[in-house]
Amino acid sequence: MDIHAFLAMIWYLLLGFILILYVISDGFDLGVGILVLLERDEGRRAEMMAGINGIWDANETWLVLFGGALFGAFPAIYAAALHALYIPVSLMLFGLILRGAAFGFRAHARDTRPWTLAFGVGSLLAALAQGYALGGVIGGLPVDGAQAAGIGSWPSPFPAIVSAGVAAGYALLGGTFMIMKTRSGLQVANRRRSRYAAWIMLSAAAFVTIATPASYGYVGQRWFSMPDFVFLAPLPAIALAAAFLLLRSLERDCERAPFVWTLVIFLASFVGLTASLYPYLIPTRLTLDDAAASSPTLVFMLVGIGMLIPIMLVYNGYQYRVFRGRVPRGPRVAMRRAEPPGAVAPSPFNYRSHADSSRWTQG
Amino acid sequence: MEYVNDPVLLSRLQFALTAMFHILWPVLTIGLSLFLVAFEALWLKTRVAGYYHHARFWSRLLLLNFTLGVVSGLPLEFEFGTNWAPFSSLSGDFFGNVLGFEGAMAFMLEAGFIGVMLLGWERVPGAMHFFATCMVALGASLSAFWILVANTWMQVPAGGHVSAGHFVVDDYREAILSSAALTGAAHMWVACLETSLFVIAGISAWYLLRGRAAAFFLTSFKLAVLAATLVAPLQIWLGDASGRSVFRYQPVKGAAMEGHWKTNPSGAGAAWALLAWPDRVAQANDWSIGIPDGLSLLVTRSRHGQVRGLRDFSARDQPPAIPLLFYAFRLMVAIGFWFLLLTVRTLWVWRSGRLTVLGLPAVRRLLGAWLVSAPLGYVAVECGWLVREVGRQPWIIYGLMRTDTAASTLPAAAVATTLAGYVAVYTILTAVFVIFTRRLLVQGPALDRPPAARQAPARGAF
Repeated sequence: MDIHAFLAMIWYLLLGFILILYVISDGFDLGVGILVLLERDEGRRAEMMAGINGIWDANETWLVLFGGALFGAFPAIYAAALHALYIPVSLMLFGLILRGAAFGFRAHARDTRPWTLAFGVGSLLAALAQGYALGGVIGGLPVDGAQAAGIGSWPSPFPAIVSAGVAAGYALLGGTFMIMKTRSGLQVANRRRSRYAAWIMLSAAAFVTIATPASYGYVGQRWFSMPDFVFLAPLPAIALAAAFLLLRSLERDCERAPFVWTLVIFLASFVGLTASLYPYLIPTRLTLDDAAASSPTLVFMLVGIGMLIPIMLVYNGYQYRVFRGRVPRGPRVAMRRAEPPGAVAPSPFNYRSHADSSRWTQG
Repeated sequence: MEYVNDPVLLSRLQFALTAMFHILWPVLTIGLSLFLVAFEALWLKTRVAGYYHHARFWSRLLLLNFTLGVVSGLPLEFEFGTNWAPFSSLSGDFFGNVLGFEGAMAFMLEAGFIGVMLLGWERVPGAMHFFATCMVALGASLSAFWILVANTWMQVPAGGHVSAGHFVVDDYREAILSSAALTGAAHMWVACLETSLFVIAGISAWYLLRGRAAAFFLTSFKLAVLAATLVAPLQIWLGDASGRSVFRYQPVKGAAMEGHWKTNPSGAGAAWALLAWPDRVAQANDWSIGIPDGLSLLVTRSRHGQVRGLRDFSARDQPPAIPLLFYAFRLMVAIGFWFLLLTVRTLWVWRSGRLTVLGLPAVRRLLGAWLVSAPLGYVAVECGWLVREVGRQPWIIYGLMRTDTAASTLPAAAVATTLAGYVAVYTILTAVFVIFTRRLLVQGPALDRPPAARQAPARGAF
């Protein structure tokens, strides 16, 4: 392997790492947004949103980092894929704008309900659009040479199924995360919703697992030839076992296990998908060697970004630590709306001390 | 209505809209976060509760502003690929690399500490909170640096060569730290500080005019004026340096923003047009009021120094909308000088002992001037970016790639739809921001609330 291919491989792995960090971390807070739509009580919705207050913004930043690093390390992929995915990417951006702005504005609103709804709708839109984009990439993008040849035909069934699967997967991440963050009635509701989400996600995952090798000869060959089969076979086995354990843990009173098993399913699916499609970044059109930037760029980026990743993990971890723990019970919506300006009202955004007004601490 | 069917034009409009909307927010985030560092440092050092209340009051404004900066920044990170794919392929090795640096060094730093800074008063010790505030400020400023580096490279693509459709970097030092990049980054960073100072002083003046919490807001007003004493003249100096850098690297843009058509012959100076109407068709100014030798003096520092005129360049290399460039530039400069004048006048009043709580009724007109000046910094920033970006046309990367060859081939309907979406969403966001900011200001600071306990509470709650 020459030095350039080696550098491209390192960046391929690093980008995979950044992407999975994004998918898991923003996945659970997008999922919370989706679940908020299923909850009728505004007080409970506030509790759920308080569970991601202080961390969701940093979660989303992994996407910005992914965009920048992909642009630098694989410019041809950044250009061709985003061009071909114009519609789902634009929808994702609108979704993310809507949910971010709604989350910020909600803290200042007298009637929080429209903002909660906007947060939920934006989260769902972003999740569906990301799923659609993933489905588009797996299903094959209209790429000719190194350039996009159009924006594809929309909508089409395969990406739509992946889209539903990703949204359900995010809802599952959000639901199992909320099981750790909430108590009693709301926790029970989160268990129930996590179960539904799990079944939808697992059905979609099963569909993709069968459809991908069937539609791409090279994927099928890899899966069913030696020795690749030996390395790949454990992945679906792990995912299947984790799915079983997840469903069982949701039936029982486990609080952390459902989230952990969900993570295992996500990791196994992610690794399985990447390994299936390797060395393509846009299946059967562009490989990582075709698309990689020149060696000086890859080295320079490795120094500037790669070395910072551990530091980013440390301070992001610190922020998680600061905001760890359960969300206290929120007041019901009537109380929040009746709050006169400047009054000291207990708020779920204000975890410990109600002496310091929610005016300061809500985000 | 041919315009509606031109996807390149629509992509340009969309990028202009999303970029011009986005820049409104980081400006205040950058300046205000540094102001908050100052207030929090004063609080930790003196333990005077007023400084603590300042930190908390202004951080609420920062939060609203930060949220809009984050969400409006997202489209920019992806639009290069969706709407400008050929540009992205060509420039990725450097431009994408720098955007990645911005994400890793600046944006993540900001996002990783903003939660602790805004919501962590009760949760972390005072020193840790101060550290978080510093990291947010550092992240915001670094972000401006990297974005200006990326943008300057589009103006002066140095430090590499094009090979097989990619810009390959030969010398990172030259590509990143060109003198144009340093001048540009400094000019923009100081613009953020200056705009923020005038917003802070303007809001303080609003409270002072109403006699609300006068002693409290006199502190922030004076601190802002004091900082403006340094920043306002510095910005005029940096503006001059940026202008000369434009004439050095992009003479056609310089000539366009000054309405300068004919290169002055040797032995004669070029006049500086104070006001004029540049006419692209006639390749001359329809009329102008000029100062003899002014432009030669400004650009070359000598009376008869040669300044190349627009007619030296073929019409297809000249920027469009020359009157827009001409007047946007003048408006920016005028605001810069107005800020300096106002600062000097205020210092004079301060020195004569009239800037006290009791003396406020006597300086109402001065405070009113600060109040109406609060939004002017934003106007200047938008004007500056208009000159920088429209003046670079018809190039997307100056001298390397033309804008009309850089756009993705998209169906016009798709771009028209997203453009309409951005117009709608950004209009709503702006309206809501104005309503909520107004509400926040009417509510005012909570001066009666004691400062949060500086120690993290016991961990038993979890």
